[in-house]
Amino acid sequence: MNEIILPLVLGFGFGWSLQKAGLTKYHKIVNVFRFTDLAVLKFMMTALAVAMVGVFALSTFGLITLPTVPATYVAGNLVGGLIFGVGMAGAGF
Amino acid sequence: MIALLKQKEWSPYLAGALLGVVYIASIAVSGIIPGASGAFENVAGLIAQAVSPALANNTYFKFVMPPGISWEVILLAGVFVGAFASAKLSGDFKLAAVPDEQWRKMFGNSIWKRWAIAFVGGIIIEYGAGIAGGCTSGLAVGGGLFLAPAAFIFMAGMFASGIPTAILMYGRKF
Repeated sequence: MNEIILPLVLGFGFGWSLQKAGLTKYHKIVNVFRFTDLAVLKFMMTALAVAMVGVFALSTFGLITLPTVPATYVAGNLVGGLIFGVGMAGAGF
Repeated sequence: MIALLKQKEWSPYLAGALLGVVYIASIAVSGIIPGASGAFENVAGLIAQAVSPALANNTYFKFVMPPGISWEVILLAGVFVGAFASAKLSGDFKLAAVPDEQWRKMFGNSIWKRWAIAFVGGIIIEYGAGIAGGCTSGLAVGGGLFLAPAAFIFMAGMFASGIPTAILMYGRKF
């Protein structure tokens, strides 16, 4: 499909779901690290589970080919995650 | 249906399911795992090329994150429109320099304090995402759905540093 319309539409759904889950708000993000509001995890894990079922169902029936899975390089993933967490909890993005 | 669209907040499970559908559609139609942090790097590369080509002349911008208006940049534009439409339709939209009540209660009304931390935090987030190879969307969810070890190592790191950061910022009120 169109290389411009498709990402725009997908992005629309992406932004819409983030806003509706309240993840555009500082307190929602920081409170997951305080364990007082787990909306971030509920949102992320639901998306992950739904996408996992859908993507693998489609690929099982041979309707799609799977994309390249994000590369695992333990030190990079871990150190990047450690840096990322400081910014996420500090700024609340 | 209209009432649902106008709701200020959805259950995170419903919103998460919608995001899951976005991932399925993206992977099925274009073969791309949606991510947010890469777009900033593509645009940063463009700016670097314009300001000082020598600055963009490195392995990272040449091979890992080529500068340009990539698919992800257009996706990000859609994210802004989608979030804006959602907020506007539900009456949740307002312009404010220090918008969050919890922030104001904890750290006061200072605009500079909020903006400085938001700015520095943004740099830290993008730097971390650059090293890890993605952020919460492209790596944690997008990798997690393939059970990629990278996603879970990243999330472990994110919480291992996010929790102490929150403890530091909130002190006894943690």
